[in-house]
Amino acid sequence: MHQEWTDQLSDYLDGELSADERDAVEAHLRTCAPCAAVLDDLKRVVARAATAAARPPDADLWAGIAARIETGGAASPGRVMPFGRREARRFTFTLPQLAAAAALLIAVSGGLAWNAAERIGAADSSVSVAQPPQTADADAASPAAATGAAEFARVENVGMADAQYDAAVADLEKALKDGRGRLDASTIAIVEHNLQIIDQAINQARDALAGDPANSYLSSHLVEARRRKLDLLRRATALATETN
Amino acid sequence: MTLSGETPAGSGLDSDVALAAGGDQSAFERLYRTHVARIHSLTRRMLSTQEADEVTQDIFVRTWQKLGQFRGESAFSTWLHRLAVNVVIERRRSFAIQRDRMSDDPAALDLLTVGPARADLKVDFEQAIDQLPPGAREIFVLHDVEGYKHREIAVMLQIATGTSKRQLHRARMLMRKHLSGD
Repeated sequence: MHQEWTDQLSDYLDGELSADERDAVEAHLRTCAPCAAVLDDLKRVVARAATAAARPPDADLWAGIAARIETGGAASPGRVMPFGRREARRFTFTLPQLAAAAALLIAVSGGLAWNAAERIGAADSSVSVAQPPQTADADAASPAAATGAAEFARVENVGMADAQYDAAVADLEKALKDGRGRLDASTIAIVEHNLQIIDQAINQARDALAGDPANSYLSSHLVEARRRKLDLLRRATALATETN
Repeated sequence: MTLSGETPAGSGLDSDVALAAGGDQSAFERLYRTHVARIHSLTRRMLSTQEADEVTQDIFVRTWQKLGQFRGESAFSTWLHRLAVNVVIERRRSFAIQRDRMSDDPAALDLLTVGPARADLKVDFEQAIDQLPPGAREIFVLHDVEGYKHREIAVMLQIATGTSKRQLHRARMLMRKHLSGD
């Protein structure tokens, strides 16, 4: 068995190789029984996974669900039960910092988003008012959601318009750069790390959308990632301003 | 992606979705009973048997609360499944393990000593999934069991597509090893 060849077998099975790569793998498999046997095994694993049966829980979970539904009231779109910790909690801000940042966030994001929405409206009247994502997003309880549905729609518009979005991001990045000296090193490191992750997600979503432009799930993810970046920049900028 | 339990237009399930969105708990219970096996299997495979019950309950409570946002642009089962995947991913992130598990670990592959091919797959498939390292496990479940594409997984988990591919191959090779009993 040759690892340099077996390492390609999953991509081969999934049709992820180029024509040349595929031809090379097939030529090797014709002469290497051990590698061909690995391929057969991998095919069996994939086939087994594809036919894995769904099995219900051992205990009936409905009673617990019904109890929580009843205590939580009627179905209420947009309201999310407390669950887990959100990604934003990676930050280690103190409560006073968060309170001040939240106040500034509302003011800054409201102004920026309103301004951006105005510019969008002037520049392109065909941009429709965005609706909350249809995808079953577990992020409805994001901090930005606290600013209300109208704000959400405006931020969505910012997210969908490249020029306006980029301008808002550039403004915030400049403000953050100016205020960088007022943040401690660990906070800067956290912010930069998260920005890097979000940028990666944005780039991946853009790449994926290039191959599948009609995919609404990818579109909503791109919007969400961009909104997160804007939100993070606003928070960090507000924090830098607050600690001035 | 092919999803089991797709809802034919105009079926009773469609009615139950509408009724549940209007606050009918009996209709929602019928939806629960229709979909619980698939959702519980997803949570069990991606998390653990111990966490599966609690997270499955969380998913259905979340579904109840978000039903008003379901606009019928996709099958209810597809919408529910996507919500479930998001909740599971959020749960994993909540334990601050996502990043570490997604990092490439070439050494892990080097440690593998894959045995000779076997004609049969002996060990229980579900137990074999349980033995996978977390990062490889979730990508194996999402790709090979649930049918998501690498680019979708990359977006959901905020990782590179190449990382998703490498982790999948790692998972398959480990599954091969586990299932052949070596």
